[in-house]
Amino acid sequence: MARTKGYPEALDKKLREQRFFREDSNPEFTKNVKAISRTIAHMCYQCGTCTGSCPSAPRSSYRIRKFMRRAVLGLENEALTDPDLWLCTTCYSCSDRCPRDIIPTDVIMSMRNLAFKRDIVPVNFLKTVTAIYASGHGVPNNDVNRAAREKLGLTRDPPTTHMYPEYMPGIRKIIDHYKLKAEADRIIKEREG
Amino acid sequence: MAEKKATTKKAPSKKEDTKKVAPVKQEVKKAAAPAAKPKAAPAAAPAKAAPAGSTTKPGEARIGVFICHCGTNIAGSMDIPAVEEYAKTLPNVAYVDNYKYMCSMPGQAVISKAVKDNHLTGVVVSACSPRLHEPTFRTATKEAGLNPFRFEMANIREQNSWVHMHDREGSTDKAKDAIRIAVAKAALLQDLFPKTVPVEKAAMVVGAGVAGMQAALDLAAAGIKTYLVEADTSIGGRMSQLDKTFPTLDCSQCILTPKMVDVGRASMIELMTWSEVHEVEGYIGNFDVTVRKKARGVITPKEAEARGIVGGGCNGCGDCETACPVVKPNEFEVGMKPRKAIYINHPQVVPLLYTIDFNSCVKCGICVTACGPEKRAIDLESKDEFVKVKVGTVILATGYDIVPIEKKEEWGYKRFENVITSLEFERLICASGPTGGHLIRPSDGETPKRVAFVLCAGSRDNTGTGKPYCSRFCCMYSLKHAHQIIEKIPGCIPYIFYMDIRSFGKMYEEFYYRIQDEGAKFIRGRVANIIEDKKTKNLHVMTDDTLLDRPIDMEVDMVVLAAAVQPKEDTNRTRKLFGVSCSSDGWLLEAHPKLNPCGTTTAGVFLAGVCQGPKDIPDTVASAEGAASAASIPIHMGEVELEPYFATCIEEKCAGCGMCVNLCPYSALALVEKNGRTVMEVTEAKCKGCGTCGGFCPGGAIWMNHFTTPQIVAQIDAFLLGGEQ
Repeated sequence: MARTKGYPEALDKKLREQRFFREDSNPEFTKNVKAISRTIAHMCYQCGTCTGSCPSAPRSSYRIRKFMRRAVLGLENEALTDPDLWLCTTCYSCSDRCPRDIIPTDVIMSMRNLAFKRDIVPVNFLKTVTAIYASGHGVPNNDVNRAAREKLGLTRDPPTTHMYPEYMPGIRKIIDHYKLKAEADRIIKEREG
Repeated sequence: MAEKKATTKKAPSKKEDTKKVAPVKQEVKKAAAPAAKPKAAPAAAPAKAAPAGSTTKPGEARIGVFICHCGTNIAGSMDIPAVEEYAKTLPNVAYVDNYKYMCSMPGQAVISKAVKDNHLTGVVVSACSPRLHEPTFRTATKEAGLNPFRFEMANIREQNSWVHMHDREGSTDKAKDAIRIAVAKAALLQDLFPKTVPVEKAAMVVGAGVAGMQAALDLAAAGIKTYLVEADTSIGGRMSQLDKTFPTLDCSQCILTPKMVDVGRASMIELMTWSEVHEVEGYIGNFDVTVRKKARGVITPKEAEARGIVGGGCNGCGDCETACPVVKPNEFEVGMKPRKAIYINHPQVVPLLYTIDFNSCVKCGICVTACGPEKRAIDLESKDEFVKVKVGTVILATGYDIVPIEKKEEWGYKRFENVITSLEFERLICASGPTGGHLIRPSDGETPKRVAFVLCAGSRDNTGTGKPYCSRFCCMYSLKHAHQIIEKIPGCIPYIFYMDIRSFGKMYEEFYYRIQDEGAKFIRGRVANIIEDKKTKNLHVMTDDTLLDRPIDMEVDMVVLAAAVQPKEDTNRTRKLFGVSCSSDGWLLEAHPKLNPCGTTTAGVFLAGVCQGPKDIPDTVASAEGAASAASIPIHMGEVELEPYFATCIEEKCAGCGMCVNLCPYSALALVEKNGRTVMEVTEAKCKGCGTCGGFCPGGAIWMNHFTTPQIVAQIDAFLLGGEQ
């Protein structure tokens, strides 16, 4: 505050050093993203087809092209700490249209994986983990849905773990194998007490 | 594989040489061939005597090995002294040397001196690929007094130092192997004498777009009879479909028609429109090309005269067209205008000669009546004709098509009426086009006020539905289109959606500046998709303004897709007829992308224009003139030298089974009666030395010059035995 001589904080932010220095980029990050996403993330030429296709972009600050740029340059911190990372709906429109045949959606997924390893993850995503562990569904069935299904002549519960709860142990085994539930519980506890 | 035509000196005396030598060579061969078998089995007999040292007795093979550093290209990745020391231990090696640049004049002098001082019988240079310097070192060998085919090259650069740059030990070992193998062959090399064949003083140009026309005009101006074959009804190609040309804004037709008229008039050009190459036989200097003249249904005044109809034949009056009841879409106008079953493309066609589209003609005969009893130009019963011509060289100028951009469904071409391609735009903006030069929206005929240009539509696209390459002229013609709508439609704004503006030519960047100054809006972002407003038929262009970092939804009246280009549909058929390769993207393959862009790997066949890769008009014309110049050289020399790699028949061994005759891809072999026996005979000029027959012959009766069985066996032995005899 003192440095900006009374100007508001927004200006302070604007006056920050914004240059990109070589040390900012971590080539290992590019390699990791490529390895996890299994797509040629380093080949992006920033045409903008992805953001142009994105249903999230017009309604949010999410710019998938920016994340692709960060993947190319290895801007690990900038990518993983940006809350926009979690705004992708994984509709795969960008992946359908990318002229370089990259799968930007999978690049986002790989970055989420890497962020999770650093405990960077919104709590609502973790609650989804808890829901899947409990019911096998990220969005479990509810009474409104059940009524609607009945009206359509369907069974009240879909032919999933809702109808066959005997498969739940298998699902829990998979989640436990990756320690996903334990990690989620730990982080939720840390955040929410 | 015969690709060299470079050695063209002392033509008159050489002819004598070859004639004198030919019978001698025949005898040498006969003596050597039967003797070859026993020699081959114990793997190079003289080799055994030599392991003690590098001294070989007179009469035995004495090989010189010359190792090139190629600066650090080779020396930087391997231990040259170690390779040199190893080479000295090889059998038959009488001399070893190394030099920084073997291909330089001092380097060649080293070879020359060593051959003379050490009475060498063969030369091995271990350096780059024979594609680069084999001719150089052959000449050096010849100048040293040896037969030029006493030279063998060991590639230790492209196949070694460049690919094993970080494996010094491995590349040193590999270089030793390569030299050992080359020396084994060099010890068995024989004197060979190239054959010369006369060259027909005529050329053929396939495709009469601006490239083909320019090439044909140049050849004709050089005094060469030229057959210009065009699949369409008239010449002119793509350029005649364009309205204006960038960056000068010349009217395309205005600068093209004088050339078309010149082609039509040139006495040295025989124009064959509505014709296709049907069959090709022969080789450089002597191509026998069969041209299929498609049934045209209309005869020229000349043909009429030949039929005894005085003053008859088509004069282009168009009475037939007026009378014809069949209506079809006009391909020249990209289907945006009707034409009749008897038609011409446009009023300036050359030749001015109508054509019947027999796929749609109902043979009602009304046109025959309209044409009248004097001209009698229409013949509804005409059939395809096959004409055979002999030419010395051929230029392919087959041009391009636009990719089927409707396969990129997100842009809605053929789904949304107001999405058009740039070629359709050219016709719509052209004064002689279907709308008389008024740009209109196909949906309602209204004049558009906001037009989006989508660049890289299918270019720079690795998805498989697009093309991985840059189509090279879309940026510039889209700038020109922007200029044209600003000029013609007051208040109309062009929006150019681009990734990069590639304005690389002379005055191109200045043109870009001018168009931006005129008011065109440039948005840096590739178009993700286009959505049609069902009511207004307006289009929403969706992209990301990558400079602003904001997604864009731009409503426009019309979208022009700068669709990528691809090789003409039947390019593949044509190239196979002439034995020309294509690169992975489908464009025809040049002999060398930088140093021989007009040549091909088939001697006597050249490339002009876009068939080799996307080019704008100036580049196309330049490439056509280059191809014409290259194609005229063998014709003006009068004869060409062929590599003496041809197969020969060892008649005593030949059983006359004739299996090789069927296998030969060049029709170079035939069965003949000799001394009461049926044996195979080779037409040496046709033989390319591919070795198919030699590899197959069950009796071992075919001798492949320069790749003889003993030579190859010696090479294999040298490799497998690792130098230990």
